[in-house]
Amino acid sequence: MPDAARLDDVHITLSGIPCLRGVHLALEAGRMHALVGPGGSGKTLILKTLATLLPPDSGTVALFGEPVAFGDEDRLRAVRSRIGVQFQNLALFDFLTVGENVALPLEEVSPPLSPAERNHRVADSLRSVRLPEVADLPIQALSGGMQRRVAVARAAVARPDLLLFDDPAGGLDPVTTSRIFDLIAREQQESSATVVISSHDIPRLARCCSRFHLVDSGSILFSGSLTEALRHPDSRVRDFFQEVQDADR
Amino acid sequence: MPTGSPPALPARPIPPWALPLALLGRGVLRACEVMGGMTLLQVRILRALIPPTFDRDETIRQAYKIGVQSVAVVTLTALFVGGLMLVQTGPFVRRTGATGMVGWGTGLATLAEVGPVLIGLMFGGRVGSNNAAELGTMVITEQVEALRLLGIDPIRYLVVPRFLSMIVMLVLLTCIGDLAALVGASVACQAILGIEVRVFWQGLIDGHLLDEFLMGLVKGFFFGGAIGIVSCHYGLRVTGGATGVGRAVNETVVTSAIAIFVVNFLVTSLWV
Repeated sequence: MPDAARLDDVHITLSGIPCLRGVHLALEAGRMHALVGPGGSGKTLILKTLATLLPPDSGTVALFGEPVAFGDEDRLRAVRSRIGVQFQNLALFDFLTVGENVALPLEEVSPPLSPAERNHRVADSLRSVRLPEVADLPIQALSGGMQRRVAVARAAVARPDLLLFDDPAGGLDPVTTSRIFDLIAREQQESSATVVISSHDIPRLARCCSRFHLVDSGSILFSGSLTEALRHPDSRVRDFFQEVQDADR
Repeated sequence: MPTGSPPALPARPIPPWALPLALLGRGVLRACEVMGGMTLLQVRILRALIPPTFDRDETIRQAYKIGVQSVAVVTLTALFVGGLMLVQTGPFVRRTGATGMVGWGTGLATLAEVGPVLIGLMFGGRVGSNNAAELGTMVITEQVEALRLLGIDPIRYLVVPRFLSMIVMLVLLTCIGDLAALVGASVACQAILGIEVRVFWQGLIDGHLLDEFLMGLVKGFFFGGAIGIVSCHYGLRVTGGATGVGRAVNETVVTSAIAIFVVNFLVTSLWV
């Protein structure tokens, strides 16, 4: 299977602080990947780089087999139309209704959709996250868990090839968390998209993700399956996965 | 919005004698950065306007929020400003007996200077600060990044509608405010000086103040543009959460006020 996304020796410095230090990451197409690591290790920056929102200071970013030209807005727009992102802060627009929020990614779809087709896709998408009746409500009328499900629906509505989820269940109760992970897994099965989930919830990630990438101090310390991680010769890798699993029990 | 930057050079200690110079230099650099940022924003706005490729629905929504919802506060302020003008000029009119001049004098000051400037300051405090807070919150909650990812240019979708609405609405609000100030002045004229309202308005009409009225509208146009640029600039540059939003609001109010007085001076100097 070819790589849907690839980062090679990516360095990013923000406000004089080196945040990503030579990240090498290959995301095999059509699989679910988990991006794990301690808080502040650089997971969100990696996701933003994959989303083409953050150009690296050095190194290369390749998406769908092509290197990303960060200076070329037209080419960037074409690449971005194949990416769906659920942001850590959800980034839902409070001046739009739930339905309008979910419909936004469909504005730039080529060829353009008819209003009827767009409404149909939005309704389908909201149904898939089990929120069929809320399209006309303002965002503020929804609970935190419902807003996260709307964010998942918006990320997936345009059927992108690469779906990035930044802490999709952050701060939610275990039941809602499980539901959200199930939703993401179902979306992936239906669309065969490449999915990357950044989360601390390793047991739930283990149920749906086949590849784990451990980020530590701005670089990728490990890439492989959970079983490989637990038998890894580097004690930092082994300990991280073991500790997180123990803490969850 | 975070961008990659080279590692910062280690700070060298500044000797005490050079501290004022260092502070001055830092201030100058900061001012240059702000001016440069605002100039670039203006260029990007112009690029979105020629040919017009901004969001029309959002422009109408902003015009309603910015303009229509400001009418009451502007009218109320202007009514009292007009009345105050009469309170200030009343003793002079009484002393000289120049009752026929009171409408002209009040109109001259209100239409050319006091009306546009005070309405501009009120607008900057209410609309400019709100705009900076709104955009700043959108930045820190990643909504601006979400727009970019969705292929929607934040300048065309967020900034241009606000910029245009502020210009158009401040011109209209200046008209409404001028009228309210003159009504307030005429009522105060009757109540304080005992001069009939009809005499006040006759003096105003005889004064041929169309030129001053137009100058006030031109000021409103430029004040609206300045407040739009300043508030969008600070709003889009917010970093650091709620503290950053508060700082952006504060900087917007202060810089808008300074911009209003500078623009007022320039327009008056060129017009007269």
